[in-house]
Amino acid sequence: MGIGLDLGSSTTKGVLVDKNGKIIAARLIPTGAIASKAAENVLEELTKLSQLDLGDVSTVSTGYGRTQVEFAHESITEITCHSVGVHSLNPGIKLLIDVGGQDSKVIRIGSKGRPTNFELNDKCSAGTGRFLEVMARVLEVSIDELGPLALKSKFPCLISSTCTVFAESEVIGRIGSGESPANIAAGVHQAMAAKISTLSRRVGVASPTAVTGGVARNPAFCHYLSAALNCDLWIPKEPQLTGALGAAILAIARASDTE
Amino acid sequence: MSNAQAIEQSERILKQLVDKGKPILGYVYPHTPLEIIMAHGVMPALLYANPTVMGSYEASLQTFACSFVRNMFSQRVNDQLPYVDGIVFPGNTCDSLQNLADIWHLRFPQDKVFRLTYPAGNQGEAAIQYFAEELRIFSNSLEDAYGFPFSDAAFRQAVILVQRFRNAVQFLYAARLLQPSSVPYRRIAAFVREFHSAPLETVVDELRATVNDVEHSLAKTGRVDSTKALQHALLERRLEDVSILSDLPTPRLAIVGGMTEPQAISELVNAVSKVPSTAVVFDLLSFGFKTIFTPMPAFEGDPFETMARSVLGALLEPTQEGLPKRLDFLKAALTHLAIDGLIVCEQSFCDPDEFESPSLLAVASGVGVRSLRLPVDPEFSDRVRLEGRIQSFLETLPHGGAA
Amino acid sequence: MSEKAKEEKAYRVLESHGFLQRVVFRYMLEGHAASEEGKLAWVTSGFPVEIPVAMDVGVSYPEQYGAVIGSEKAGPKLCGYAEELGYSQELCSYARASIGSVKHPEESPLEGLPAPQALLACNNICGTVLRWYDAISQMTGAPVFLVDTPPLEGEQLPHHIAYVRHGLDDLVSFLSEQFGTTLEEDKLREVTDLATETIGVWTQCLEACKNKPSPLNCADRFLAMAPVVAIRGRDYTLEYYQMLLNEVKDRVTNGLGAIRDEKVRLLWDNIPPWFRVFRIMGSLAKRGVVFPADTYTHAWTGSFKDEDRMDSIASMYSNVYLNKGLEAKVDKMCGLIKDYDLDGFVMFSVRSCKRYSLGQLVSKELVSERTGVPGVVIEGDMVDSRLQNDAQIETRLDALLEMLL
Repeated sequence: MGIGLDLGSSTTKGVLVDKNGKIIAARLIPTGAIASKAAENVLEELTKLSQLDLGDVSTVSTGYGRTQVEFAHESITEITCHSVGVHSLNPGIKLLIDVGGQDSKVIRIGSKGRPTNFELNDKCSAGTGRFLEVMARVLEVSIDELGPLALKSKFPCLISSTCTVFAESEVIGRIGSGESPANIAAGVHQAMAAKISTLSRRVGVASPTAVTGGVARNPAFCHYLSAALNCDLWIPKEPQLTGALGAAILAIARASDTE
Repeated sequence: MSNAQAIEQSERILKQLVDKGKPILGYVYPHTPLEIIMAHGVMPALLYANPTVMGSYEASLQTFACSFVRNMFSQRVNDQLPYVDGIVFPGNTCDSLQNLADIWHLRFPQDKVFRLTYPAGNQGEAAIQYFAEELRIFSNSLEDAYGFPFSDAAFRQAVILVQRFRNAVQFLYAARLLQPSSVPYRRIAAFVREFHSAPLETVVDELRATVNDVEHSLAKTGRVDSTKALQHALLERRLEDVSILSDLPTPRLAIVGGMTEPQAISELVNAVSKVPSTAVVFDLLSFGFKTIFTPMPAFEGDPFETMARSVLGALLEPTQEGLPKRLDFLKAALTHLAIDGLIVCEQSFCDPDEFESPSLLAVASGVGVRSLRLPVDPEFSDRVRLEGRIQSFLETLPHGGAA
Repeated sequence: MSEKAKEEKAYRVLESHGFLQRVVFRYMLEGHAASEEGKLAWVTSGFPVEIPVAMDVGVSYPEQYGAVIGSEKAGPKLCGYAEELGYSQELCSYARASIGSVKHPEESPLEGLPAPQALLACNNICGTVLRWYDAISQMTGAPVFLVDTPPLEGEQLPHHIAYVRHGLDDLVSFLSEQFGTTLEEDKLREVTDLATETIGVWTQCLEACKNKPSPLNCADRFLAMAPVVAIRGRDYTLEYYQMLLNEVKDRVTNGLGAIRDEKVRLLWDNIPPWFRVFRIMGSLAKRGVVFPADTYTHAWTGSFKDEDRMDSIASMYSNVYLNKGLEAKVDKMCGLIKDYDLDGFVMFSVRSCKRYSLGQLVSKELVSERTGVPGVVIEGDMVDSRLQNDAQIETRLDALLEMLL
C-alpha cells in the first residue's frame, strides 16, 4: 500500500492506494492554519475510511506543506506527483495544467509519466484560483456559481488586466457602467484562460491535455481555456486528488525500492 | 557560512578598516576597476543586496525599478549600508542603475556619488580609448574626494593582489568542474564574496591554502594538469578541446543570470533537500565567473589604458558584447563541460536578465540540456516556491529524480 | 459614434491631419518597397537616421509601430505572444509588442512592419533598445549595429564626441558593406539641411503653443510628431510641417484654441498611453484642460551645424533629452512650465520605460518646488493596457484638477 498527502494552500488531500495503485480511500479537507495538523487529520480520516492500520504504510507528502509532515517518508514536489497521478489515470496525457488556489502549473509529461519540463505562474495571484475567488466576491456570487454564471454570457466583456488588484477595479468599473454580471464573469474567465494559455505556450502545447486542481471543476474556465489553447481538455473525475494519488503511487515505488 | 553570516562578517571587517582610518568606496557593478580605486589608497567594497532589508524606496522609486536597485536604495534610506564613504555606480550598463545614481545624488546630496560610464556594444579600440579617458576622469574625482593621488606603487601592488586572487579562484572553478568533490561550490562563492567585500591579503592567503589542499586532492587522481589546462581554456574561452570524464557524479548543474550573487543562490540550492553537494558545478555569465576570468592589466604603459583593456577584456557582460557571442559561449560550456541541467536566474525587473533568458533557455534546449527559469528577487521573498521549483527541476532530471 | 461627436465638440480637429495620414501611408509603402529590395533597416527613435537615409537605405521605426499597436489596442495580444516565448511581462512593451508581431505578423496591425535587413540601434534613448534588437535579430537573422552614445553628465567632452564620431564612421562602413552603398558628402549635407529645416518648422509649431489659447493639444502633437521622428530628410515631410504651421498660425491669429474653452494649461511628461490617450485628452478637454507642452514631442528638436556634419550629428544625437541626467530633465520641465505659462503638470509613469520614468518621483518634488505649480504622477503603460488601472488614474487626475479649477 501507499499513502499520498497533498498539502495545498486551501485544501489538504489524502489518498490511500493498494499495491497496484488502485484507490482504497481518498479524502479532502480544508488545510487551515497549520499544515502538519491537517496532514494528521486527513491520515486519521483515511484510517477511518479504510478501517486499516496505516502506521507503517509508505507515505509521500507533496504540495506547499510537504516538508511539514514529519511522518512522511519522503517529500516530492507537486509537479512530479500530479504528473505521475494523471499518467496513472490516463497514460496518453502529454500536457497537464494544474490550477490551484495560489499556484498554476503547466507540466509536460514524458512517456514514463515523469515531468520533462514545467512552468509556474509568477508570484502574484494572477492566473490562480485566488483570482477567481476575488472576482466572485466582487460580483457577489459564490465561487461555485461563478462558472455557471459566466456560461450564460453571449458577449463576454473585455477584462484586460491580469493583475488581481487591477482587474478587481476593472470589474468594479464594469459593474458601475451597467455591464451584466454574466458578461463580466465570462470576461474574468477569459482573462484567466489567456494567462494560463501564455504559460502553456512557454512549455509547448501538446495534445491530449489534462486539467486538474480545484479550478478544473469550473466549467467556464475549462470552456475558455479550451478555446484559448484550441484543443480539447481531459478532466479527471476527481481533479483535486491527482497530486495525492501521484504521491501515493510514488510511495509504493519508494517502498519497493527500499525493500 | 550563510548569506546572513557573510553580511555580518563583511561589515565587521569593513568596520575595522574604517576604525583604522581607511576610506571605503562601495561599488555595485562586477567590472569595477578595483586596482584604480586601491591605487588611491581607498578600499573598494562590493555592496550586496540585503535580503532582510525593509522596503523603503517608495518615496523615490517606482515598484518597477529593478529589484536590486530598490534593495540598495532601501538600505541607504534605512541607514543599513555597511561602512562606506561613497559609492561608484556604473553608467550605460542598464537603465535602472543609470537613473539610480541620479536619484541618489538628488536625495542624498551629502553622499559621495561617483559614476563610471562604460562603453556598450563591441566597439573595439575606440571603446578602449574612450573608457581609458573615463577611468582617468574617475581617478581624478577620487583624488578630489579623498585627497590621495594615484600611486603607481599602490596600483602595482593592487594588480598583483587582484591577479593572485583571480588566478587562485580560476583554478578552483576548473577543479570544481573536473572533480566536484574536491571543493564545495559554496566555498568558492564565499571566497568570491569575501574578496569583493574587502580585497585583503588575508583572504588571498586563506585562498592559497585552500588551493593547496585542492591540488593535493586532485593529485591523487592525477588531475592537476588537466585542471590547469581547463583553467586556461576558460580564460581563453576556448572549450573545444576540453573533455570531462564520464565517471563524475550527476547531475551537473550550471547557474546563469547577470545579477545573481553566487553565495545567495548556492544557499538557496543547498537548502533543497535532494540536491547532492556535488550538483552545482559552475556558474557563468553571473557574478562569480565574470569577475574571476578577467585578463590581468599589463604593468607597462598608461595605467588607465591597461585597465581599460583588462576590464573590457573580461568575459561575458551583456553590455560589452553582443548576444550571439554570449550564446556561443554558453553552448560551448554546456556541451564541453558535460552540464546536464541549467538554472537560468531572472532577477525581477532586471532588463538585461529578462531579455536574455529566453535565448539562454533556447540554447540549452537546442543542445538537449534541461533547464529551469528561476525568477528571483534579492529578498527571495517567495523562497518556498523557489525551492519547490528547484526540487521539481531535479525531479525532472534523469539522474536527480525522486524515488 | 455619439461619444465621438461629443468629443469633437470640445476638441478641434486639425485640417492638415488628412495630409499627415497620406505622409505616413507613403512612408509605409516606401518601407515595404525597400524591404522587398533588401534595403530596409529598423531604427530606434533616437537613431542618427540622416546617415542611412543619405545612403539610400530605407528605414522603419518599431517604436512608432508600437504606438500604432497601442492605438489599435492590440498591445495585450501581441505582448502576450512575446510572453509565450519567455519574455517577462516586466519588460518594455514596445519590445514585447514588436517581438510578438514578428512572431505573428498576420495578427498585427497592417500585417506587421516590413522585414528588416539590418537593425540599427542607438542607446541615447535607453539601454533597452540594444537588448530588444538582439532579440529581434535572433528571430529574423538581421544583424544589429549599435551606435553607442554613453549617457552624458553635464557637457559632452572631446573624448566622448570622438568616440561617438568613431561609431558613426563604423556605421557608414557597416551600411556600405551590408547594402553596397556609399555615403556622399553632398547627399549628407542635403539630407541634414532638410532635416534641420523640418525640425525648425516643427519647433515653430511647438512654440506657437505658448499662445493662449494653445493652438495644439498634447494628442495633436503626439500624432504630428511621427514624420519628424521617422521621415526625416524628405521634402514631403517638410511640406507637411509647413502646412501644419500655417494652420497653427491661423488658429493663433483667429484666437482659436485646440480645445474650445481653455481654462487650465498643463505639462505632460513621458510617452502617452497610446490605447487611451485620446479618451483621456478628450475628457479633460471637456473640462477645459489643455496641454500646450510636453517633454516627449519636445525631444525631437535641435539643428545640424555647419561644421563637419558627422561631428554635428555626433553632438546632436548625444545631447538628446533622455541621454542626460535627471537634473537636466528637471531644468527642461521647469523651463517649459515657465515659457508656456502652465498651471501644473502630469507625469505619466510608464512601467515599460525605466529610463524615462525612474526619477519622476524625485523630479516631481523638485519641479513643484522650483515652479510653485502642483503636479501629479499617474502610473500605467504606453502599449500594454493590462498594466494600467484607469480608475486609479482618473482619481489622481481629478485630485489635481480640484487643486486648479
